[in-house]
Amino acid sequence: MNQELTYLLGEQAVVLDLNCARLDDAQQNRLFALHRHLQQLEIGSDIVVGKTSITLVLRNPTHCNTWQERLLTLWQELSATDFHPTTHTIPVIYGKEAGPDLLPLAAQLDLSPRDIVELHSTPVYQVKFLGFLPGFAYLGTVPQQLQVARLDSPRTQVPAGSVAIAEDLSAIYPSASPGGWRLLGHSSTRLFDAQANSPCLLQPGDNVKFVPQKEGLC
Amino acid sequence: MLEIIKPGVLMCIQDLGRYGYRHLGVTQSGVLDPMSMKIANILLGNPPDTAVLEITVGLSQLCFHQPTNFALTGGDLNARLDDGALTPGWRYFARPGQVLSFASSPSALRAYISVEGGFNLHPVMGSDSTDLQAGFGGLEGKALSAADQLSYKTCSEKQSIGALQPPYLNHIRVLPGPHCKHLKHSTEQLLCSQQWQVSADSNRMGMRLNTSSQFSHQVTINSQAVLPGTIQLPPTGAPIVLLNDCQTTGGYPMIAQVISADLRHFAQLAAGAQISFSLTTQTEARQETQKQQNHLNQLRIALTHRDRSFS
Repeated sequence: MNQELTYLLGEQAVVLDLNCARLDDAQQNRLFALHRHLQQLEIGSDIVVGKTSITLVLRNPTHCNTWQERLLTLWQELSATDFHPTTHTIPVIYGKEAGPDLLPLAAQLDLSPRDIVELHSTPVYQVKFLGFLPGFAYLGTVPQQLQVARLDSPRTQVPAGSVAIAEDLSAIYPSASPGGWRLLGHSSTRLFDAQANSPCLLQPGDNVKFVPQKEGLC
Repeated sequence: MLEIIKPGVLMCIQDLGRYGYRHLGVTQSGVLDPMSMKIANILLGNPPDTAVLEITVGLSQLCFHQPTNFALTGGDLNARLDDGALTPGWRYFARPGQVLSFASSPSALRAYISVEGGFNLHPVMGSDSTDLQAGFGGLEGKALSAADQLSYKTCSEKQSIGALQPPYLNHIRVLPGPHCKHLKHSTEQLLCSQQWQVSADSNRMGMRLNTSSQFSHQVTINSQAVLPGTIQLPPTGAPIVLLNDCQTTGGYPMIAQVISADLRHFAQLAAGAQISFSLTTQTEARQETQKQQNHLNQLRIALTHRDRSFS
């Protein structure tokens, strides 16, 4: 196993790099515990979790060197059980106009449309990180049988609320945007509201459970 | 009220940017040249983070409908107030009906306008900056277009006054990036040993440089946080300098980080411009930021005394 390390990115950011290809569940939750812990300390203007790293942009850059050591210590001290995620239940209408890629995907994978719905809605997903659009959460992990590449040619417009998959990840488009993920369904849950006090429903590390609605395939 | 007659290529409202939301995928936004924005605000006695208009390329016209003092800073886009030529770095007075126009310039790209007391805006997530891609902040989340109106309060005339703006350079100082070891070259070899040309495919999200095929590669990294000033090297070997509207995470190797004090120079670099990089140290980077802060502090003190002696 590789040894984790810290370094400075520019003058204001400290990075803890776990220096490995992927995290196991315990490491992943430990990283989210670290994120929450740092948020409560109010020392960072921004704290961003990556796939195998966390970046702390300090309000006061003169503390950079101290924080290189502090991050390593905190990482050692915290454990997966220090993280208590919120679980969100997201109702989804699968198939037809709500999920135009569901039928072609069933045909491609030689599965029934109901198999696809069941495969997609069985796991409890975790928000690995957010990016691409405000409130766009990368949710892992899609069952192996359902893992497929992005569309060869991305759509110029994916409707807000589209529930989609690409490789080992699922996501819900918080706003309309171009996109190459395969659309399985639609959710009317509001994910991002710039005007709200807490603008984003899904936070890093939160759990997401999709619930098929009877208006669609289920 | 300030009415947009012609917005030109891109005119938008920006302040120092939106902080604290990058973990939710929200970009920083904000002026590309914070120094110019702060000088404009200090010239008017505004808080330094008061939102301003960022004008790109020029070719634009605005009309003041109420009297106000305004400041013009940033690059010289050959601005005029009616027929009178204006100089960047100066505070002026506009009477109702006067038209502020910008031509363009081969050597400058962005100018800034602030009005005394600031524009009347509704901050979103703690900032007045326009997030152009996500569509919020500024004025209805959009770049300004013809007939848009910005309200401000009427002010009485103050004497015109100028401030020194630090020069724009095309030599950029960087700190080493974390992923050079995967590319088997140093930041110095990858970035500092040649001149680069700014590609036409550049915007507020990032500035692409010309390709250096000798550094093409196949390395990807696990997606991690990127920041304005991060220099990525995609597999083609054409570096990208990320700017204020950049995404929050990225999977290309990060080969360098532009020091904070030098990021403002990118505000004026147009397609075809030549730039070069050199490696610096954390100590020098912090000294440069402190120097800029000292410059602003001196300006504020000098102006406070002058404006008092006039009144």
